[in-house]
Amino acid sequence: MSVFTALLLPPLLAAALAAAVPYRRAVGWAGGGLALVSLGAALDLGRRVLAGGAVAAGPQEVLRADALSALLAACVALVAALAAWFGPGLGPGDEPRRARRFHVFAPLFAFTMLSAVTTNNVGLMWVAIEATTITSAMLVPLDVTKTSVEASWKYVLLGSVGIALAFGGTVLGYFDFVSLAGSREAVLNWTVLRAAAPALHPPVMQLAFVFLLVGYGTKAGLAPMHTWLPDAHAEAPAPLSAMMSGVLLAVAVYAVVRWKAVVDVAVGTAFSSRLLLALGVLSLTIAALSLVIQRNYKRMLAYSSIEHTGLVCIGLALGPLGAVAAMLHLVNHTLAKATMFLLAGRILRRYRTTEIARVSGLLQAMPGTGWLFLAGALALAGLPPFGLFVSELALVRAGFAAGRPWLMGLVLALLGVAFVGLLAHTNRMLYGPPPAEAGTGPESRWPLVPLGACVGALMVLGVMLPPPLAHLLARIAEIVTP
Amino acid sequence: MSTTFSQLSVLGSSLALLYGLILLWRRGVPAYIAAFAGQSLVLAGVTAVVAVFGGQRDLYWVAALLVLVKGIAIPALLRRMERRFRAERELEPYVNTATSLVIAGLLVLVGYGISRPLVALSRLPTRGGMPLAMGLVLVSLFVLVSRKKAVTQVIGFLMLENGLALLAVLGTYGIPLIVELGVFLDALLGFLVMQIFVYRIHETFETIDVERLSRLRY
Repeated sequence: MSVFTALLLPPLLAAALAAAVPYRRAVGWAGGGLALVSLGAALDLGRRVLAGGAVAAGPQEVLRADALSALLAACVALVAALAAWFGPGLGPGDEPRRARRFHVFAPLFAFTMLSAVTTNNVGLMWVAIEATTITSAMLVPLDVTKTSVEASWKYVLLGSVGIALAFGGTVLGYFDFVSLAGSREAVLNWTVLRAAAPALHPPVMQLAFVFLLVGYGTKAGLAPMHTWLPDAHAEAPAPLSAMMSGVLLAVAVYAVVRWKAVVDVAVGTAFSSRLLLALGVLSLTIAALSLVIQRNYKRMLAYSSIEHTGLVCIGLALGPLGAVAAMLHLVNHTLAKATMFLLAGRILRRYRTTEIARVSGLLQAMPGTGWLFLAGALALAGLPPFGLFVSELALVRAGFAAGRPWLMGLVLALLGVAFVGLLAHTNRMLYGPPPAEAGTGPESRWPLVPLGACVGALMVLGVMLPPPLAHLLARIAEIVTP
Repeated sequence: MSTTFSQLSVLGSSLALLYGLILLWRRGVPAYIAAFAGQSLVLAGVTAVVAVFGGQRDLYWVAALLVLVKGIAIPALLRRMERRFRAERELEPYVNTATSLVIAGLLVLVGYGISRPLVALSRLPTRGGMPLAMGLVLVSLFVLVSRKKAVTQVIGFLMLENGLALLAVLGTYGIPLIVELGVFLDALLGFLVMQIFVYRIHETFETIDVERLSRLRY
């Protein structure tokens, strides 16, 4: 069995199983197990890529994984597995109808993201990313309320329009290639485009990149196309928010990185860097200011995602050093944000509100969740000893090395604003007396183990770079540098 | 022969753009649906013309799918939706009709401007239609931001897709078939999901005026 089969088939099987039989707890367990198989395959893929370079399969090498794909696939599979185990239907008192819907669409959502990062064909990558909108939009209003319907409408419309523009960019890139070579064989393959890139025409590729950046940038939650993101991430059920915030944004950034690698060869890096810097700084600014005025902790986490995606974009514009820092930051953010949204789901269950002002005494009412939430917030704020501190530091150093001290000053100031906003709100939630209705009953312990492990991994990343990850990042630097 | 070819492709693109302008000019949803169906058939026609003159046999399949999915199936679903929400018309868009048409004219000019490198580069006889397709893309985007009813926005989105499909077929004689099939599947599923949400908006808000969707701020 090929590694791609082991990666992509389990989520499909899980969805088919959940769709085929009426929901019972065994279906949820099976889905969780299959997600773990997929995660194992993703890790194996990483191992193979490190051992022997890119792995390819299928007619016209339609499936291909290099270091960049392997890193993203591991992130997606990890968060998908977490979501499967934290999804509705495994605990007591979950409605079977909701549970079934979740266990059909969440694996499909994971499948579309995994396909997007492992296909070599940029057309199919687009198809897969468009399909992420469809599969995830079905899950945002798992509970039909006015706000969740509103959020999902904004999400599906803006997401679809954005992604349609990315299709326009893909067509323009293809157009340039066909005008040049005339051949139609497998030319939408990224490897072919990359090899042909030196001969592509700068004006057309520039236009294509604008379309692609606006299109995939909408999915990535870059300002000013970010308006759907806080709504959708706040209204979605917690495991879905974890997938959307933790990895969907990363997958959209991945698509931009793939195209940037082609466009930079054709046009030079200055063009894409300027655009990425503009969108990145704008996102960072809007997110930092919005973080300060938040009253809802799920929206707070959503704006923090915009902040970090903006930061990743800035990193991508700062040369190879910056790109490596950005990719490391992506991994750190995936771990931190998936954990935080799952914790937020636990808080919501206990307190029955998403308002920051009505959550207090978290450390007293739910000590395990509270301490992990504190650790996650410190990590997101960019404090040591967590991984995000290291990647932000690397990013800022790359900025100074690239000769942009003023820009880095601005970035640091905005990070400071975000820091204050995030920690002030978290502080309010952690201390004080817990409201009576939140109760002081014991919290379920076992879910804290995987979340604790994620926080632990963030701490490990804060003090050292594990050698396999370091090697993957070095390979990625080769891929993204023209 | 190739002049007939290029004339037909420019004619088709112009018709597609004109159908797009109906969204800005008329007020009734039935007119929008008819315009979308007509535009899809024109797009299928252009695709078939490219298939004949350009010798691209894959494109016959694409043209047939276009007729079936976008010419017949989606308009039928849209009409069903329209019957349900008959009372809701695009009475007060954010931008009035006259201004909208002026802006649309400017957008078509912009479309010409940004397509210049494309037309300069292409050697295909169909290249003359590309600026019009780009114009349609921009006009559809304008419809999306300036109209308030969920149904109008859905149709604007469908026309945006048509514009991009037109750009693809004129510029490249069609993208590879496997990708094309994926795009079709996504377009159909995406539309079905949007349709579900339009019904749901109506159930929960008792209107499909998206201006009322304003509970989520900041």
